Amino acid sequence: MSQLGQIIESVRVYDHFVEAEVASVRKDPAKANEVMGRWRDITAKVGKTRTPTGLELPTLALPRYDDPGEIIRFMLEGGLPGEFPYVSAAYSEQYLSRDQENGAAGEKKGEEPTRLFAGLGLAEDTNQRFHYLSRNQQNKRLSTAFDGPTLYGVGALAPGVFGKIGEGGVAIDTVEDVERLYAGFDLDQPNVSVSMTISGPAPILLAMYIAAAKRRFGSDVVPKLRGTIQADVLKEVQAQNELIFPIGPSLRFLADMVEFCSLNMRRWYPISISGYHIAEAGATPVQQAAYTLSNGFAYVDYFKTKGMDINVFGPRLSFFLDCGLDVEYVALARVCRKIWAIGMRDVFHGDERAQRLKLHTQTSGRSLVAADWKNNLTRTAIELVLACMNATNSCHSNAADEPFTTPSEEYARYAAHAQGILLEESGVFKHMMNTLPGSPGMQAVGEAVQTAILEEFEAIEAQGGVLGAVERRYQRSQIQAAAHVLESQISSGSRPVIGLNRYALEDIAWPDLETIRTPAKKKKAHQERVEEFHRKHARESEKALDRLAAVVENGGNTFSELINCVEHCSLGQITARLTEVVGRFRPMV
Amino acid sequence: MAPIRILTAVPICDGHDSAINTINLDLIRYGIEVIYLGYHRSAHDIVRAAIQEDVRAIGISSYNGGHVEFFSEVLSLLQGRDCGHIRVFGGGGATITKADADLMYQRGVDKIFFAGTPLEEMVRYVQSSFSTPIPAVVNTSFEDRIIAVNLSEIEAGNEADSQPPRHVDPNRDTKVFGISGPGGAGKTTLIDELALRFLRKFPADHRLAILSHDPSVVGSGALLGDRATMIYSQDNRVFMRSMATRGLAGGLAAASERAVKYLKGLGIFDAVIIETVGTGQEALPFGFDHSLTDLATLVMPPDYGARLQLQKIAMLDAADIVAVNKADLRGARTAVSEIESRLRSNPRKQTLLQTQANRHRDPGVDQIFSNLFSPTV
Repeated sequence: MSQLGQIIESVRVYDHFVEAEVASVRKDPAKANEVMGRWRDITAKVGKTRTPTGLELPTLALPRYDDPGEIIRFMLEGGLPGEFPYVSAAYSEQYLSRDQENGAAGEKKGEEPTRLFAGLGLAEDTNQRFHYLSRNQQNKRLSTAFDGPTLYGVGALAPGVFGKIGEGGVAIDTVEDVERLYAGFDLDQPNVSVSMTISGPAPILLAMYIAAAKRRFGSDVVPKLRGTIQADVLKEVQAQNELIFPIGPSLRFLADMVEFCSLNMRRWYPISISGYHIAEAGATPVQQAAYTLSNGFAYVDYFKTKGMDINVFGPRLSFFLDCGLDVEYVALARVCRKIWAIGMRDVFHGDERAQRLKLHTQTSGRSLVAADWKNNLTRTAIELVLACMNATNSCHSNAADEPFTTPSEEYARYAAHAQGILLEESGVFKHMMNTLPGSPGMQAVGEAVQTAILEEFEAIEAQGGVLGAVERRYQRSQIQAAAHVLESQISSGSRPVIGLNRYALEDIAWPDLETIRTPAKKKKAHQERVEEFHRKHARESEKALDRLAAVVENGGNTFSELINCVEHCSLGQITARLTEVVGRFRPMV
Repeated sequence: MAPIRILTAVPICDGHDSAINTINLDLIRYGIEVIYLGYHRSAHDIVRAAIQEDVRAIGISSYNGGHVEFFSEVLSLLQGRDCGHIRVFGGGGATITKADADLMYQRGVDKIFFAGTPLEEMVRYVQSSFSTPIPAVVNTSFEDRIIAVNLSEIEAGNEADSQPPRHVDPNRDTKVFGISGPGGAGKTTLIDELALRFLRKFPADHRLAILSHDPSVVGSGALLGDRATMIYSQDNRVFMRSMATRGLAGGLAAASERAVKYLKGLGIFDAVIIETVGTGQEALPFGFDHSLTDLATLVMPPDYGARLQLQKIAMLDAADIVAVNKADLRGARTAVSEIESRLRSNPRKQTLLQTQANRHRDPGVDQIFSNLFSPTV
């Protein structure tokens, strides 16, 4: 049985264990007493809070059970936030308003989950947008989107990419671009974190980030750097199609980077295991969860076989899920946390920190439509509520104008404010940890979702596990089939989309938006800067590339060498050389 | 009447293939032959493929921005190669604005589909706009265009113009290599890796032709998708043509033999590689005596089922080279020894090799390459 088979087994074993415990507590008065004692302690520790209208509320709502069997089921099924298997929440006090002081010191409470994705034009343009977006934030979270030539690692000088420079994301070719991108932010401070949404060339970009930070803050800065890089190779193969090197070498470069980060950058999340793009490509919510979790377990398995310590890298893994409007999202992330916790504890033997699934959620881009597009504000708001009911640790809310363009400042602001309205202005989440979760409906959805995820796991297991199924295009074909079904449902009207196939206006009202485009002059200027960098480093770049190629051939840690290499070489130069050594990813269709 | 042939693709640095995958499936249901080039493709790759495949139109699905420049580049490359008759249309959800579309129309794009366009509308557009035949008159010096038009004539059952497109070395001997095997064995990947080795080994004036086959679906459309997974074969020195079987069983199309003879007769290519459709057990696409090919290779996956199945595979008797591909998979060793004993009793001299074509610099592929292209062949 592969690891995935053992995980299926251990989730089922855990559910049986819960029921067995319930039965045994009911039969054994001594055990019942012990449970009731624990329950009294838990109840006594619950904090109190007062709402602006003067109402007094507990910070955590506990059900009024007097049967020890029900109580033990509640506890073991993850009813308590921050307790295994973390169904309710990974941590015990997230979202609680910062002006309440009931939490234990050092908890992650009170962090604003707001993260806004930005990337446009050249590094200095995105830098300006970062300063605008974060001007009112205590915690500066700079979430970076890259343009096509960067995502594909070809660089701005590659033939035929001119039109793509700075479109849909920022153009980054050199360490100097990265310096410009985060200029004016104190990367060495705990209130600044950076995230980079890039996978194919992720190790090269992170190497540039480290090199840029060292240039400004000295080499002591490395352990202080906070942030996340996506670096999810498997979902690229399954859905997003932005892979550069074949799967084998891509996994190796990733493992080298993860190893470096777990040893030297303990505040950095070197991989964000992503279902977002799987869902955006048309997968069902269950497929999203099943493929993402199984990809996560495949990484853990791979890193372990590379000799890495699960308790060192395990806590540095994080997840990124889509949240759409389907009913599954009422409980999807809760089920994911449970399966992850059980797999990490019972199959991989990771400690408590490795068992907690840390989650970033983004509202669904695919759910946004061009027809009568201001309805997108409502769609995103509902998705945000679902994401927060599922206790996501951070969230990006989409701008309503996204079907048309990189978000305009106006709609990016509304998107950010939606989170403020939900979490700060409204009282739904800030007073209590679990105002909404725990309904029988949520429970029923969760159980159905769990069953369906385990069935998907079985299908993957039957094909030799995640990598075997990837090789057979299993996940891709399932996602494509689901996308086809979705489109036909929208097309036939059996799946209502308001303003599109129901209550549609006569004419699609096109927005009077200024589309964000990068002028040709800027694109040219960027190319010239890259050429200038090449000229400046012409004498060192070949040698640096030779050293890198030698490490790749001889089996050392490629990431440490990349940090040196980016001082003299651009993204395009590095990928070109690596491609010669390890080959190119052959697209799957 | 010959089916409408169009080419679809997603631009360079763009991996959004969800929409085009859905559209492709709908087009072929309505009798259209779609050559799908895949995602992250440059304007040069798209134009080269469109010319070689002799399509009526190119459909581009773009979601990552830069579409005005990209579509313009495709159009100007077509113009520069006397191929203004190949029309260009496309879409990109709502990322292409009305203003962009107007600008693109001015530059010669025929049609942009906006968000919410029903699939049937796109099919109707393709059917009504591209059903008239292309003017057959070729007044061009572009070699690929001339070859492509002649191949279309052959496919339509007409005579090809025997005039070679340029002065060629009359002594150049064009070898013909057949490659067949069941679907999913890795034929396309193997051919692409052979193309890479060809491009590295031979000087710039040497060219390779690939004739690739995919099955037609009921209703006479076909999704010709081999190009989408090929990375090295998208090169000016490779001439590739995708042929739909158009109802013929057995692995090739009715016009294949004449097409191969035409390509061979040109004296331009060092070799023509024929890729069959995924073949069944009884298939002998190149005949038992190989009148069509100089060397025939059978690509076998390790998971063919029970040992007894091997007895039924006719190509195991007829192939010159048998490659057990995906040699990294479970069961590969068993497959090699079972196939080895299956071949032992054959009178024909056969070579059995193990390959892992999806691996960079695979020594098994090197071996096939030298078997095919070594001077002693």
